[in-house]
Amino acid sequence: MIRPARLAAAATFVLPLLVLLAIWEAVVRVFDVSPRVFPAIEPVAQAGAAAIADGTLIRHIGASLGRIALGTAIGIVLAVPLGVAMGTHRAVSAFFTPLLRFFSVLAGIAWIPIATLWFGYGFGAITFVIFNAVFFVVAYNTLLGVTGIAMPLRHAAASLGATRWQLLTEVLLPGALPNIVTGIRTGLGFAWRGLIAAEMIATNVGLGYMLFVARDFYRTEVIVLGMVVIGVLWLLIDRLLLAPLERATIERWGLVRAA
Amino acid sequence: MRTATASATVPLEVSPWQRLLGVYVRWSSRNPWLASVLPFVPVVVAWAAIAKSGLFPPVFLPGPVEVIQKFGTLMANGILPAYLEDSVVRLAAGTAVGMALGIPLGLLIGMSDRAHRMLWPVLLFFQAIGDIAWLPILLIWFGFGLTTMIFVIVYTVLFPVVLNTMLGVRSVPIELHRAALSLGASKTRIVWEVVLPGALPNIMTGLRNGLGFGWRALIAAEIIVGTSGIGFLMFDARRAGSVVEILLGMIVLGVLWYVVDSWVLAPIERATGERWGLVTRKD
Amino acid sequence: MKSLTLEHLEKTYFDPFANRQVTAIRDISLTIDAGDFVSVVGPSGCGKTTMLNTIAGFLAPTAGRIRVDDRVVSGPGPDRGVVFQSFALFPWRTVLDNVAFGPKMRGVPKAKRHEIAREYLALAGLSHAAERYPNELSGGMQQRVGVVRALANEPDVLLMDEPFAAVDAQTRMTLQEELTRIWGERRPTVLFITHDVNEAVFLANRVVVLSHGSLLDDITIDLPRPRVWDALIEDAAFKSLAARVLQRVRAA
Repeated sequence: MIRPARLAAAATFVLPLLVLLAIWEAVVRVFDVSPRVFPAIEPVAQAGAAAIADGTLIRHIGASLGRIALGTAIGIVLAVPLGVAMGTHRAVSAFFTPLLRFFSVLAGIAWIPIATLWFGYGFGAITFVIFNAVFFVVAYNTLLGVTGIAMPLRHAAASLGATRWQLLTEVLLPGALPNIVTGIRTGLGFAWRGLIAAEMIATNVGLGYMLFVARDFYRTEVIVLGMVVIGVLWLLIDRLLLAPLERATIERWGLVRAA
Repeated sequence: MRTATASATVPLEVSPWQRLLGVYVRWSSRNPWLASVLPFVPVVVAWAAIAKSGLFPPVFLPGPVEVIQKFGTLMANGILPAYLEDSVVRLAAGTAVGMALGIPLGLLIGMSDRAHRMLWPVLLFFQAIGDIAWLPILLIWFGFGLTTMIFVIVYTVLFPVVLNTMLGVRSVPIELHRAALSLGASKTRIVWEVVLPGALPNIMTGLRNGLGFGWRALIAAEIIVGTSGIGFLMFDARRAGSVVEILLGMIVLGVLWYVVDSWVLAPIERATGERWGLVTRKD
Repeated sequence: MKSLTLEHLEKTYFDPFANRQVTAIRDISLTIDAGDFVSVVGPSGCGKTTMLNTIAGFLAPTAGRIRVDDRVVSGPGPDRGVVFQSFALFPWRTVLDNVAFGPKMRGVPKAKRHEIAREYLALAGLSHAAERYPNELSGGMQQRVGVVRALANEPDVLLMDEPFAAVDAQTRMTLQEELTRIWGERRPTVLFITHDVNEAVFLANRVVVLSHGSLLDDITIDLPRPRVWDALIEDAAFKSLAARVLQRVRAA
């Protein structure tokens, strides 16, 4: 059952967007905007229907999502243990923090040229860029999270008889989780942008590619379609993946993130 | 983590290795600047060793020496400074406009519930589209030029600034508003005297985040629009198959941003927040 | 300094948790003479903070009027200075600038308003802290700044909302003594809200008991001034007055 309050909240969210749609349509008509400059709503919807019908939209979405899923998954799986391992000893973390920080500030888009050189154009290069963005940012944030766990917590665990493994799973990982989640959010943000940029440059399938090739033919309705799809996809990722993740960890535990 | 047990009768056993690590920790906390540079030394050395070993062909991985030589060449013939200037100017211009638009908008949304309800979903959606997805349509509108690039950067910087400004505005305790009112401040005066200073630490966070996304958008734009700049340098080199400039570009970018972020932006953010005892953070 | 008059003041608001209209204060009529010190005391939830916020103008009354001397007032303003429980000092301004804030809003030039601020800081013994930031000070010192900041703006009436509740017991006693001293010198018109009966009796000339939004009792405190804790804590008159007030509060 959808509670009336939730429904009302959803309505207040959607309403301004509907108003925006109305303004869009009105402006295009009133100012007689050329379709080569900006399409009206109908052509975009038609292009969308056509792209779904002949499967191209699904193909592009699938390619993009596949790349980001793979790159992100590998990135997180490698980054978290590495970050935790580095964070357990103060000297090790002091040494690696500047390094990880440097690479995390460089992560993502800046690697596109060299990725295309190393892996050629296509899936490998793009997934590498995504992996890169997620890996360094998550590793750095994990490291920050683990080192930010106050000594009293570690001491408490030790004096309660925790083994090293238990310390890891019961104290370090949960304690670092807010930072890890923050890292995932930031890394995914970089990765998503890296994905779109890389797809414009280095491949022939995917949402970025779809946008870029449409530009060549002045098919603005396809461009706008693509932009809307990208926006909706990110909103879905944000609301359905990231927000619940943050709610389940950061907010539930009332933890404050380390700087 | 080694738990050393100590009691009154048995002396504490610390291995020489642990002693060394302890020394390193203390030294690094007393010399933060040096400590943030030192770890790169073994990395560069390892890099040089790997490059020389021929594990990867030099086409894939040149050594640090070649990169430094190329750096010298490009500095001497003025290309690197020119490209750097182009990139920095674009980023600075875009950021300035982004902040000029973003801070007032953030103030508005933070202070007015009605504005918040009307604009929040729109902002969220446009932020979700992302800066880079605008490039194709911008290229149609403005062509391969400066306007396109500035637009992208403004767009990128705008959202973190608006969001964080809004958060900052809302985190100012209502008592401070009331105190100002009962000391005779008018509503408009309060924006300048209470809301802005109170939101300043968050605005700085927004600027930092905005720049982080901003320079990345710049690089992407420079690659795609392709006229000048560090991004162009890297991609042009890639097209020519020359990997040295690519690495050089990446290092220049990394060092620049690292320096600006760690030694300029972060201290300002800390100084305002900590000096005033305010602590709220949002990415 | 001016008198403060409340005429049949009432404040009702919608409580989302109880899901109904709640009347926080009803039919409150009270006159505080110019230069007088009146304490309003009552248990938590009796409506005293709502009453103060309404008088200060942060909330609009549902019925009734508030007068300063003969003038009806509404909305917040410098005529009614406020001292907050949470101090509400501006963290980005030094102590000196905080105290000078009110004069600054009135357009007093910098040199003059700094002079005024220093004068009031000296009154509270805080001259040495002028260039410090609020978060560098202890709670007791911050609240001293809060008090003189309100006073430096020379309001017609001073409203104090449980100002010493967030401070430790020892410091509280010191602050109370200082407040009576400052009041003795400057004689502002003061409305002081508290839940602490001893504090109310110590500070005020009149203690008014508030319960469930209504004024119950008005007790005159005729203890001599200056008042000092060491003397009063064993004083029979003080103890009997405090007991009387406490009984009224608890019976409500």
